[in-house]
Amino acid sequence: MSVLTAFISGVTRLNDFVGRWIALLIFAMFAFLLLEVGFRYLLNAPTVWTNELTQMLFGVYAVMSGGYIMAHRGHVNVDLLHSQLPPRKRAVMDIFTSLIFFIFTLALLWFGIDMASESISSWETTYSAWNPPIWPVKLAIPVGTGLLVLQGLAKLLEDIAIAFNLDYYRPDQSISEGEQS
Amino acid sequence: MSIEILTLLFFGSLLFFLLLGLPLAFVLGGVSVIFLYFTWGFDSFYMVASQIWGTMGSFTLVAIPLFVFMAMVLERTGVARDLYRMMHLWFGGLRGGLAIGTLVICAVFAAMVGISGAAVVAMGTIALPSMLERGYDRKMALGVINTGGGWGILIPPSILMILYALITGVSVGQMFAAGIMPGVLLMVMTVLYILVRSTLQPHLAPALPPEERGTWPEKLRALRAVLLPIGVVFMVLGSIIGGITTPTEAAAMGVLGSLISAAVYRQLKWSILQEAAIRTFKLTGMIMWILFAAHAFSAAYQSMGAQELIEGMMQHIPGGPWGIIIAMMVIIFFLAMVLDPVGIMLITLPVFMPIVKSLGFDPIWFGILFVINMEIGYKTPPFGFNLFYLKGVVPPEITMKDIYTSVIPFVIIEILAIGIIMVFPEIATWLPGVFF
Amino acid sequence: PATAQETFTWKVQSHWPGASSSYTDSLVRLQRVLDERTEGRLKLKLYEAGALFKAQETFNAVSRGILEMGTISPSYAQDKISLAGIASGLPFAFRNVWEAEYFHQGMGFEQMLRDEAAEHNVYWATDKVYPTEMVIKKPINNWDDFTSLKIRSSGVLQKFLTEAGAAASYIPGSELYSALDSGIVDGAHWGAAQGAASMALYEVAKYHVQPALNIAGTDVIIVSMKALNKLPEDMQQIVKDALDEQFWIRTNEYLYKERLTLAKVIAEQGVQVNVLPDDVQNKLVKAAQAMWDEEGERSENAKKALDMLKGYLAELGYL
Ligand code: NA
Ligand code: NA
Repeated sequence: MSVLTAFISGVTRLNDFVGRWIALLIFAMFAFLLLEVGFRYLLNAPTVWTNELTQMLFGVYAVMSGGYIMAHRGHVNVDLLHSQLPPRKRAVMDIFTSLIFFIFTLALLWFGIDMASESISSWETTYSAWNPPIWPVKLAIPVGTGLLVLQGLAKLLEDIAIAFNLDYYRPDQSISEGEQS
Repeated sequence: MSIEILTLLFFGSLLFFLLLGLPLAFVLGGVSVIFLYFTWGFDSFYMVASQIWGTMGSFTLVAIPLFVFMAMVLERTGVARDLYRMMHLWFGGLRGGLAIGTLVICAVFAAMVGISGAAVVAMGTIALPSMLERGYDRKMALGVINTGGGWGILIPPSILMILYALITGVSVGQMFAAGIMPGVLLMVMTVLYILVRSTLQPHLAPALPPEERGTWPEKLRALRAVLLPIGVVFMVLGSIIGGITTPTEAAAMGVLGSLISAAVYRQLKWSILQEAAIRTFKLTGMIMWILFAAHAFSAAYQSMGAQELIEGMMQHIPGGPWGIIIAMMVIIFFLAMVLDPVGIMLITLPVFMPIVKSLGFDPIWFGILFVINMEIGYKTPPFGFNLFYLKGVVPPEITMKDIYTSVIPFVIIEILAIGIIMVFPEIATWLPGVFF
Repeated sequence: PATAQETFTWKVQSHWPGASSSYTDSLVRLQRVLDERTEGRLKLKLYEAGALFKAQETFNAVSRGILEMGTISPSYAQDKISLAGIASGLPFAFRNVWEAEYFHQGMGFEQMLRDEAAEHNVYWATDKVYPTEMVIKKPINNWDDFTSLKIRSSGVLQKFLTEAGAAASYIPGSELYSALDSGIVDGAHWGAAQGAASMALYEVAKYHVQPALNIAGTDVIIVSMKALNKLPEDMQQIVKDALDEQFWIRTNEYLYKERLTLAKVIAEQGVQVNVLPDDVQNKLVKAAQAMWDEEGERSENAKKALDMLKGYLAELGYL
């Protein structure tokens, strides 16, 4: 069972690590937008790349957040019923609804891979005036979704352990409930 | 299967899985995929991926992380705390004073942003703790933020109005102008409500005891706290009105302003910035995953034939021109309980607009009614963006039930406002007439 | 090959919003024509811009056969169609709309596009050819006026305007009106008169610049070959004929409405036509021609099309 424990904590650590780095993109987006305003307003020389690069970074920033947020229980839900239940019943319910989670995320993963591989096969660019490669941003869809799927698997394993009282996972050992926003 | 039955099943499954506690983003996405499979086939899942790709490429959404980051910095550095202390010293004697102050800040925020999410998250971070600390009723505080945070789409600039103009062909400038007075009307009505309510039930929004209201020197010193926030507002609004930045780029000016404020407070530290960045990432990501799935959800509903449903409904409405307008508002109200505003626009406006015009109503006026109705939709359960955004920032002891029930009086106020603007269309149509 | 009585319903994703005149004039027209000529056997179900797929994704969806039909601009299919750059219009190439019409239909450019698209299982039919023209807040009377402009642009034209010396930047359509109004930019192009009027740009920019920045087949109807081949042969022919006819009818009608719109905004909103002075035009043509060759480098096919275009323009006495 220690493999499962290692998987759960490994995935959570991975998402935590990735998230902490991706979160810093906010500084880049801020800097590029400010730069564009400066170039256009002060120098009358707008650039072709700042807004487009900001847009691309934002896309990566958004889609890569899924796993990190799940690791920190940050995806909001309706807790009317949920919060009333004892932990084991709640885990059983979460095992049931994870079906919907996996239907969505696996469909997205499948077609995200499809979209990204098509883009990579032609080294797709944006064909704007700046014309940068767009495939890395498309690649972020399956990568971000993949991280989310992994975290979903980790959560499913946790829920199974709670529901059936298995010993590979104990909620008090969880490292995923560290930070509260 | 008929679209009527599909609709019931579609929204029924949405509600069912929401109640079971699965996060909203996954419910929307999963239900879309299942229904797409049965109505269109496996290949249609490509649409889900493609909607997400489209959402990632929407430039106006870049403003969300920036405004959220701005709010986080203002909160963590103590700027926001001092602002609320000032408001309390000055208006603490007035029952509901802090709530009214919060509404004023919401209105100013609304003039800076064209979307709703950033304001709700920002005000939930800044205003909620301050109100709760000072003994405000939980539901009162939540409701105020829910309602004020939604004004961003009514008070210009407004992305929703621009979309309305694009779909219906009315002037953007006229729509913007038309939103100002209804925005003021809503604010006045909400403030009146709070004054009345806190007079009748003082425990909801308590006044500061006289001995804590501070001396004049204290009050004057506290006034310094408004200088920095006013500076930030000036940077954002000034750069939009002065033709320096687009509304989206203006968000970067807001961040710059918050960083300058942090420096003035000697709080411009990496630890604070890093923490703000991580909280911003969590909140923006939460909003974005909801948007990803919501866009897929409304695209799925449209592919199933949502428009035929609306067309069908419009053929059975009695009661003359006003009956039709009211019926439209009711349809939009119910759709807004479960769909996102852009989806609602694409489904209903192509059916409604020709009818509105042929009945001789002003499409600008109808647009204002529509936008206020969208504001209501942002906070009506079960699916309202503002509700979920707020849930993302509140402390864990506040439940979804608190948030759901907090909005009731404010929804009634906005419905009243729609009624008033129906009876006195000039509230919406007078300003655009003056400007253009 | 299906039985003669079977009926088909096609999902059609438009790249026009419902308020756009082209939505009604192009798509609703096509819907009616196909319904009549197939005696109700082919129904088009129209979706407004962005309803199912964003404009940039529509080509992919049609290519995969997920959608049966869609409308796009060639620039949205750049990664698949190497001729898309030329199809979306080289700046200052044609001087009259009929020249571009003849290039497409008389010289075979349309067939070249159709052949490239066929490799992606898409049947390509240009909806119409029309000019792209700028609106600006202050008139251009000399070269300095032009180079001091901040212009909202996109794609090839953004590159062209920048290289020609103006300050061109991209601003999304949803922020265009406010940007022009507050003076973040002094000019923009969004189609020509009808496009600018639909975005209410004349409220804030009173000069309509001529000649056109380019004249091109900027709107295209694309059909999934998979869907097309499922139709009985007579219906396939009806669809193709209707699309061929659409090109001529719509180009002509669009030009008529362009003039109508321009006359209307001149009369009602005080718009003035700003004809570029000769020296400005000449400098722009030079800058444009320097850029054309880049489009030819996209592929063998693109080079062939560019050579054909240059020969044609020389024949017309423009080169
Ligand atoms: Na606003
Ligand atoms: Na709602």
